[in-house]
Amino acid sequence: MSIEKILFPTKFRELAFDALDSLTVLKEAGLKEIVFLHVILREDVGFVPFGGYLKKEEEKMRAEARIRLEDWQKTLDEKGIKSKIIIKVGRPVHEMIHAAEDEKVDMIVVGRKKRIDIENTFIGSYTHKVITRIRLMTFVSKYMVEYKFDNAELTKVNDRPFETPLITVGGDEELSQRAVDSLKKFKGAVKKAIVFFNIDEKMMDEKNKAEMEQLKEECKQKCGKYCEQLGAAGIEAELHLGAGEILDEILRVSRERKASMIVAGNTSEHRFLENLLHRSISYQVTKSSELPVLLVP
Amino acid sequence: MYGAHGPDLGEVLSLWAIVPFAGMLLSIALFPLFAPKFWHSHFGKISVFWSLVVAVPFLVLYRGSALYEFLHIVLADYVPFIIILVALYAVSGNILLRGTLVGTPRVNTCILVIGTLLASWMGTTGASMLLIRPFLRANSQRKNRTFMVVFFIFLVANVGGSLTPLGDPPLFLGFLRGVPFFWTFNLVVQMIVVVVVLLVIYFIMDSYFYRKEKDGLPAYKEEKEPLSIEGKHNFIFLVCIVGAVLMSGMLKLGEVSIFGVHREIEGVIRDGLLLLIAFLSMMTTRKEIRDDNEFTWFPMQEVAILFIGIFLTMMPCLKILQAGEKGALSVLVKTVEEPYHYFWVTGILSSFLDNAPTYLTFLSGLLGKFYSGAGGHEAVMNLISDKEIYLKAISAGAVFFGAFTYIGNAPNFMVRSIAEETGTEMPSFFGYMIKYSIPVLVPVFGIITFLFYL
Repeated sequence: MSIEKILFPTKFRELAFDALDSLTVLKEAGLKEIVFLHVILREDVGFVPFGGYLKKEEEKMRAEARIRLEDWQKTLDEKGIKSKIIIKVGRPVHEMIHAAEDEKVDMIVVGRKKRIDIENTFIGSYTHKVITRIRLMTFVSKYMVEYKFDNAELTKVNDRPFETPLITVGGDEELSQRAVDSLKKFKGAVKKAIVFFNIDEKMMDEKNKAEMEQLKEECKQKCGKYCEQLGAAGIEAELHLGAGEILDEILRVSRERKASMIVAGNTSEHRFLENLLHRSISYQVTKSSELPVLLVP
Repeated sequence: MYGAHGPDLGEVLSLWAIVPFAGMLLSIALFPLFAPKFWHSHFGKISVFWSLVVAVPFLVLYRGSALYEFLHIVLADYVPFIIILVALYAVSGNILLRGTLVGTPRVNTCILVIGTLLASWMGTTGASMLLIRPFLRANSQRKNRTFMVVFFIFLVANVGGSLTPLGDPPLFLGFLRGVPFFWTFNLVVQMIVVVVVLLVIYFIMDSYFYRKEKDGLPAYKEEKEPLSIEGKHNFIFLVCIVGAVLMSGMLKLGEVSIFGVHREIEGVIRDGLLLLIAFLSMMTTRKEIRDDNEFTWFPMQEVAILFIGIFLTMMPCLKILQAGEKGALSVLVKTVEEPYHYFWVTGILSSFLDNAPTYLTFLSGLLGKFYSGAGGHEAVMNLISDKEIYLKAISAGAVFFGAFTYIGNAPNFMVRSIAEETGTEMPSFFGYMIKYSIPVLVPVFGIITFLFYL
């Protein structure tokens, strides 16, 4: 199994084409087709107060979108990747979910593909809605971001997101296994995977030195199987342990090990209360990391 | 100071005071017609502009009195008006009709009948939003769909709402001014006449076109899906809305002062309950139902933005009319005398202005004419006992004539927008009137005049 078909919704924002271009490396992982989706907001053309519908405006917007997307299609053609254009009037998230179902895509690409300011979090309202509602592998692209690190303001261009993924495992074993299985589909695009397991404060509570050593060994053994599985699938993998607050540790290790993206089980989906409080780890990682995030359902 | 210790504000205002109201209503009438894109992007600014044109000079000239009148119209009329619309819109948006309907004349007529019956209980906007998409889907294979949507606007988006204050905004504003909840049932005979005549005309037209198109109609490709309703529990919320509104009309719990404006406690409780019902409806209904209904708050936001402008600019006009023959519009008050005058003048103005403010204007005119200086609810009760036919005339005029143009009533534009989006060609503003309203509605309203107002 590989990632054969991707849904790429676009509003033609700054750097959207670069983000698209960064996905074409997935041809090495079996990518065959990219489905473009452009949604014209219903509010932009419909419900003119006491008027009606701006049909001509809709036609103009459709024509503009088609011209731009056809130009992108040429680039994909040159790389041997098929493509399809869908232009809809409606609400973006609803149309994304429907297009993903209708086209039976393997992955949906969301997220801001333009420059993201330091002041903003790395997640928009559409992205939030998609990752909390969709049962599909979701790649949160962050092509260019500005972020703060050690009080310095830095800019990061994520133009090779699949090269060195950091995959978070632990906690929910089933979810960890699904994340590992999903990463295998990217074989060909991945150079080396970093398997990350965090020993949190609860696990360390009231343990002496010997017990801590034993815990470390257990964790290594537990996660070693994921490295072996990835290795067997042809993806070189190495294990790294973290200790303490999980979000901080994921961000720390991803930076230290120069990860190119983070792979996490999507625990945001259908968890009403957690979503309301924005507490789920996958949500927090997506929101806080300057790296693209692959969320696995 | 004007009012309690001096001359009434309505008696001292000149005709200039109604210019912003006229400007606001003309903006609603003309911008969508001649500059729809500009209007779509800037209607909020235009609403603010006209509001400032009326508010600033009034506050400078009349200070406390003007502030009180503005607060009064916002708190006593605008806020409850928007809250009832929001509650009905939210609850009806959470009900989804699924299934395959085939658009034959009988099925279409049935949908129109159901929509007409529902409109008085879930609002013309709610009933329209519930049924317009299934109605369009049922007729997606038909070639001539325009007349269907027009009759949908006539019946579901307008005439059907004439039986209760929940049905159509003007009647709710009447309810807020003291018209009893069940009084509007007095319009039932008029409503039946209009509905029956319109349905007969519709059925004849639909049958004619159906026969003409039948052989060329492509077969339905989709698999037949049985009819079903999702979000059924929202019908309980609809009953709760009726209960909350009824409660506010029956209980007398005293008054409470909000920013110096006296409001009945039962009215405040009703508004709170309606908001709670809307909230519970949203919380207890799956988001997928709203998604499949293409639910969006956008039209409601537009209505809220436009109507704050309408209500603020309307205040001087209402005050002048309430002053009756002592006010600057005494000519109008004297000229419009007979019930049929009221039916047609309220109706024609409702067609080109929105019907809610028009109704309120003429209700104020009637109270000023017959009971100048009397208190609101007391004057309304006197009007019902002594001159009921006048109230019937303005109520029927405002509701029925709301169908006369696209701008007569808010759901008209929502239905039109959805129809055009899904590929049904709709006539232009004047095309709608020339092809449908004038040939169909004018004779029907002529019959109503002859039967009830002469």
